[in-house]
Amino acid sequence: MISWDNFIWFAVSTLLCWASAFGLLVFSNKIRLGQMLAGLGFIIYGIFIALLWFNLDRPPMRTMGETRLWYSFFLVLVGYITYAKWRYKWMLSYSLFVAMIFVVVNILKPEIHSKNLMPALQSIWFVPHVTAYILSYAILGAATIVGVKQLYKFNENEDTALVEFTDNLVYVGFGMLMLGMLMGAVWAKAAWGTYWSWDPKETWAFVTAATYLFYIHIRWNNKYRKTSLWVLILAFTCLMITWKGVNYLPSAQNSVHVYGQ
Amino acid sequence: MADNQPKKPIWQKPWHFTETIFIVIGIYLVGMMLQLSVGTFKFTSLAWPLNIIFGGGSLLFVFLLSLRKRSAFYQWLAGVPFSVTLISALIIQTIIMGITPQVSGALSTKPGVFDIIGFTRMTSSWPFILIYFFTIIALFAAVLNRLKSPKWRDYAFYLNHTGLLIFLFASGFGASDMKRYVMYVEERADLPEWRVYSENKDVLELPIAITLNDFVMEEYAPKLTIIERKTGKSIPEEAPYYFQLADKIQETEIEGWSVKVDTFLRDAIRNSDKTYKEIKMPGACPAAKVSVKEIKTGKKISGWVCCGNYAQLYMLLNINDTYSLVMTRPEAKRYASDIVVISESGEKKSAILEVNKPLKMGSWTIYQYGYDTDAGKASMYSSFELVYDSWLNAVYFGIILCAIGSLCLFWIGNKKRKDAKND
Repeated sequence: MISWDNFIWFAVSTLLCWASAFGLLVFSNKIRLGQMLAGLGFIIYGIFIALLWFNLDRPPMRTMGETRLWYSFFLVLVGYITYAKWRYKWMLSYSLFVAMIFVVVNILKPEIHSKNLMPALQSIWFVPHVTAYILSYAILGAATIVGVKQLYKFNENEDTALVEFTDNLVYVGFGMLMLGMLMGAVWAKAAWGTYWSWDPKETWAFVTAATYLFYIHIRWNNKYRKTSLWVLILAFTCLMITWKGVNYLPSAQNSVHVYGQ
Repeated sequence: MADNQPKKPIWQKPWHFTETIFIVIGIYLVGMMLQLSVGTFKFTSLAWPLNIIFGGGSLLFVFLLSLRKRSAFYQWLAGVPFSVTLISALIIQTIIMGITPQVSGALSTKPGVFDIIGFTRMTSSWPFILIYFFTIIALFAAVLNRLKSPKWRDYAFYLNHTGLLIFLFASGFGASDMKRYVMYVEERADLPEWRVYSENKDVLELPIAITLNDFVMEEYAPKLTIIERKTGKSIPEEAPYYFQLADKIQETEIEGWSVKVDTFLRDAIRNSDKTYKEIKMPGACPAAKVSVKEIKTGKKISGWVCCGNYAQLYMLLNINDTYSLVMTRPEAKRYASDIVVISESGEKKSAILEVNKPLKMGSWTIYQYGYDTDAGKASMYSSFELVYDSWLNAVYFGIILCAIGSLCLFWIGNKKRKDAKND
């Protein structure tokens, strides 16, 4: 019988595969091998989830530790698909990296005790909503780093590859952000009877999305490239407020997105 | 593009950012004057069919404008400066909204400055409504403009902009037709319930009635925590520790005390002054026999704790002069109502309603809302939220288009630049 006691073996094998895949993708040209190792780790991890599911007799999506299993799983899946189809190598290595963090957290702090998930959270939208958001946060974080790099010693005639790279990161990250938001809306409709209630977290999610929208539109013309880089930093600041800061705002004392304990 | 002509005098067409910013500030000021003179926007004043007449009429006007050849005004309406400036206006307003606590309902008798200028009811304030309205206009103009020379490669543009347009139109104008009520239904009442409460606590009768056959509830096992008796706060203060009980012998450590759970009963009744025994009956309540040892001194104390409910008192274990070990009230795991819904036309539907599993009946959707939290499992009633939203399908259509459009963004970014290079 597979339980959390067996997790360490699966986790370590997965980590070995993903870490070598990450190394191969970032530091060498053996991309094919890296891709295969990423896939192998993904399969090992998937087998653990499947066996755990079978053993628990319910989808393992209830505890924090269980949702983190899915984060890693989906992150690598999305990275893999994006790479296989559109050759975004950075996307695969980046998602491998974030996925590994979640595996390590699960080894060190499993939180497998049956956490009390309030009824509103018990929904099929829970995992994809959170996963899409976390993934978009990760990608937009990368976009910010690339943006800051360009602002530091700003050069009007920046090499277009880096500019294109920034735009692509924002497009993919914004797409994910929108997916997370739309899934959240559909879920909110089922749970609370309204798809958008301007809860403080929703308000800040709107601000964040609108600021990235501002970036995308102002980039229509290359003239405002410097402004657009500042917008990118502003947008990520809004994103951090949405993710972490909302809990501390006086306007959020009754937010449905702030969970106690 | 227009920005390649820097010496153009202001207000000479084509308008660019300078003019646009002035115009959007103008829209905002008009909104603010309306706000100050007539107060917050009343969505009910735009109820069906006024919303479709006004909304549809405005779009028709934009459409007619688009038929005029080389209308500089229409080009500006559909252009990037207008949309970017509107987005900025929305960002500024929602940031204000994000840091100002929002309230609903009518103004109090002594409103503050923020109440009067609409900051505390941002989404019903006139400036916000006007900016939102012009965002719809700009979106429609942009889509129409692109349609003049339709290209397949613009599919992501169409999906995202049309999806957002439909979503904003249906949710914005649809807000006037949306109705939300709460209905309280007693278990096994003789007659179905027709009465509901509106947001202002007015009692109304609806064309929908509900009978509650049964209300069931599952609870999580409660948790143990140590509190400071004077304040009632759990320790450690910065990160209160709650220990989840389970159906087995457990041990844990809380701030220098080792806590051992000897017996945990999910359904207990008080047996004597300070002991409990397991009896599954209404009014039974979780209880646990625990031994607490202060690790430093080795001083040991044991006894029963119970979280209490509507039928039984709670029991705590005083571990010294300042602190007590207590059991928290169990949290709801799942609650569901077995209901029968009858509409005025005679349509009848039975369902097990629970959170995240609403029931749809025409344009009405019925949600599990609440129950008597003091009674918990023994609640004699269940409450439902009844939402009427005739625009919901349009909203979902917009959401689906946007979702497909978002998926397209994964590869369209790259493609757009490549195309631009080839042009």
